[in-house]
Amino acid sequence: MRPGWVLRLAAICGYALLLAPALLVCAISFSAGDFLTFPPPGLSLRWYAALVSNAELMAALRNSAVLAAVVAVIALLAGGPAAYAIARLDFPGRGFLAGFLAAPLLLPTLVLGLALLLALQPVKLAATWPGLVLAHAMVAIPFAVRIMTTAFGAVPKDLEEAAWTLGATPLQAALRVTLPIAAPGAIAAGALCFLVSFDETVISLFLVGPRLSTLPVEMFRYAENRTDPLVAALAMTLIIVALAVVLLVERLVGFTRAVGRN
Amino acid sequence: MIGLLLCLPAALILGLGFVWPVALLARISLNRTTDMGAMEEAFSLETMAKLVEDDFTWELAWNTATLSATCGAIAVALALPVALLIRSAPPQWRGLLSLMAVAPLLVSSTARIVGWMAILGDRGMINAVLAWIGVVDDPVRLINNWTGVRIGLTESLMPYACLVLIAGLGRLDSRLEEAAATLGATRTKTFLRVTLPLAAPALAAAFLLVFVLGVSAFVTPRLMGGGRVFVVATEIFDLALETVDWPAAAAMAMLLLGSLGLAMALRGLVAKVAR
Amino acid sequence: MSHLRLEALTRRFPGAPHPAVDGVSLELGQGALLALLGPSGCGKTTTLRMIAGLEVPDSGRILVQGRDVTALPPHKRNMGVVFQSYALFPHMTAAQNVAFGLEMRGHPRADRAPRVQEALNLVGLGALAARKPRQLSGGQQQRVALARALAPQPDLLLLDEPLSALDAKLREEVRDEIRALQQRLGTTAVFVTHDQTEALAMADLVAVMNEGRIEQLATPEEIFERPATRFVATFVGRAARLAATVTQPGLLRVGDAELRATETPASGAAEIFIRPHHVRPLRDDEGAENTLPATLSRRTYTGDLVTLDCATPAGRLIADLPGGSPGADLRVGDTLRLGFRAADLRVFPA
Repeated sequence: MRPGWVLRLAAICGYALLLAPALLVCAISFSAGDFLTFPPPGLSLRWYAALVSNAELMAALRNSAVLAAVVAVIALLAGGPAAYAIARLDFPGRGFLAGFLAAPLLLPTLVLGLALLLALQPVKLAATWPGLVLAHAMVAIPFAVRIMTTAFGAVPKDLEEAAWTLGATPLQAALRVTLPIAAPGAIAAGALCFLVSFDETVISLFLVGPRLSTLPVEMFRYAENRTDPLVAALAMTLIIVALAVVLLVERLVGFTRAVGRN
Repeated sequence: MIGLLLCLPAALILGLGFVWPVALLARISLNRTTDMGAMEEAFSLETMAKLVEDDFTWELAWNTATLSATCGAIAVALALPVALLIRSAPPQWRGLLSLMAVAPLLVSSTARIVGWMAILGDRGMINAVLAWIGVVDDPVRLINNWTGVRIGLTESLMPYACLVLIAGLGRLDSRLEEAAATLGATRTKTFLRVTLPLAAPALAAAFLLVFVLGVSAFVTPRLMGGGRVFVVATEIFDLALETVDWPAAAAMAMLLLGSLGLAMALRGLVAKVAR
Repeated sequence: MSHLRLEALTRRFPGAPHPAVDGVSLELGQGALLALLGPSGCGKTTTLRMIAGLEVPDSGRILVQGRDVTALPPHKRNMGVVFQSYALFPHMTAAQNVAFGLEMRGHPRADRAPRVQEALNLVGLGALAARKPRQLSGGQQQRVALARALAPQPDLLLLDEPLSALDAKLREEVRDEIRALQQRLGTTAVFVTHDQTEALAMADLVAVMNEGRIEQLATPEEIFERPATRFVATFVGRAARLAATVTQPGLLRVGDAELRATETPASGAAEIFIRPHHVRPLRDDEGAENTLPATLSRRTYTGDLVTLDCATPAGRLIADLPGGSPGADLRVGDTLRLGFRAADLRVFPA
């Protein structure tokens, strides 16, 4: 049935609310003014220039990118085999492990962040690279496991069986048949893990220190204290990274299918 | 057996970064803080009891619950037409429309709040429009207060509601509505008598999810509230990092987890009884 | 020595009340094609999967050329399997799919290409070697799957409902191709199907299965003309079923009529199966071992056949006539005499 005009109007309002902040960030980031004024008094790239010349923020950007890449790789390496086992193999404790590997997502990030602070501070791992990597892996691994379980599960089982009957060992069949077919899903999982880590704010707020900080934390603190368009340029940077990742995933697998339900 | 082996690396990392810290959190919530502010090993519910007896805790809890209930309900109500539109859209549009609805999930919430500052701030879009029409002389305060938090939280919860509703409504057979139409029902009647009852489980699931997310939201209340809005999440953060009272922070986190668990259990019970 | 030998093969799935396969034994000679025929859930696919090694039997043995392969994993058995879904690797071309089995079995690279081409030529797809499966039609995918299974020269070719995904016309064509190819190569083959026409048309030997057991193992003619059990008589082909009583060996009382049969139980209640193509209308002067007066109650025209549905003193009988033959122009309500031979009656104790 074609949607009626009431529904269309309501949906447009919904979309407006969803997309307005990002659009405004984009507009304000090119502002020539000194405050978050809309409409901007003029257009310029001065705040992007300010961002690039801000050594602290650029260091945070570099930290975030490196951290996200490391976390994504770890999530794939640890989560991939687990996802394969959960999707394909039958073994005792499979159901429990599937639940356990998704469990950190059930915990509010605020509580997880606090717990990690309490655990890592006494062993001097707070505000260190290993500490941050471990913390971010807690959200990235469940993501990777979930997306890749779907990806492996979507590969028909009889393809592997066919490979076996053609003389392939189980390992050969998994590597030569299932993995290549599930590869787009794995790449999507990696990209989303990168993004999850790159955008992660709350857990990081508990764990960063003066010498090691991430971009979202720096942006949070900036937004807390000051209201000039530099923070919009900063936000725009994060949005552009997110957009790039979404486009990559969309091209590879179709975004909705990748984040798709179970 | 090979399966267990394949799961081992992931399970070990989670043991280290999830099980151990959460266990420690539970343990520290049983510790005491001395009058000097130092943490003291103990094994008592003293810290938790102190929180429960404090009226401020209950004020925080009430603020948090009402905030996330109202914002959650509005978010679900706004997400419903979006999900319905996606469901009835031609297949080639569905992907893009879904993407637009859930894309904000992938944009850092701080970035979106910067956008809201530009919309709701004293020099923001809304005040500019109001001033241009001439309705107000002084800018309306829409930010750094509860209003700002409500708007921001509603928007930040909407994509989640959309995600649940798109999946939930996608499973409903659209021919049911066509059948209702052939039986003489108007659009409104069809919506009220067919679509809404069928969508009820998805709506309930969406509300529960966004309520739980709302209760533990931190970034939005902190930034949109400008430090003037206090909820459970901001209090836990302040206890941990400003006051550095770990036992109290841990105890409050445990209380939060307990309430969320209770909410989930109640939902399960209600669902069972309904069936 | 038989080429394939199954000994009391049994498989029970956890939680299932009955075994999926229950004591299946059979022998198959070199170069023969065996059809496992039965309704869904009869255990035919599980039997095939056990032969392939994809399913482990709870008990029983599988011997190929006298060698016990029961404990071998699938990749160590030399079986060519054509899956119901074809299971073509979507990320490989037709040629790469066919080469996969050769590569896994350690054939040197130089040796592979000509054999891949040969296998594809065999199924008439030599020109489409570089296509990916999704660029091929259903029938072409089917042929690639067959070429892939045959290329490593398997000891056994196993086909799981290989024609079920094809439309009716193509199905007949591919059916004949598979049979011709199997005979030309002399490959021993086992073929799972729920379609009796397929089984009868292709197989040297048909095993009719029901509830995990083999009801009858015989040639197609034997299965059709001399079904061993009531299940086989019901499942294969059509038949009129009449309740009867054996009055004396060779003589049955059916309703108000008396019929002769060559084989009957000694006495007691029985059920008679009469195939429609054995029943024909008689001319006035014509006699038969069994004759019955009848009234035509329904006539169905299907082109090459006219089916007469008749009421007789013995009950309802069906006669299939070639279109245009005597009696094919009868009308509903006409009376006639039906005749059939005593040897064409199948009688089972009720």
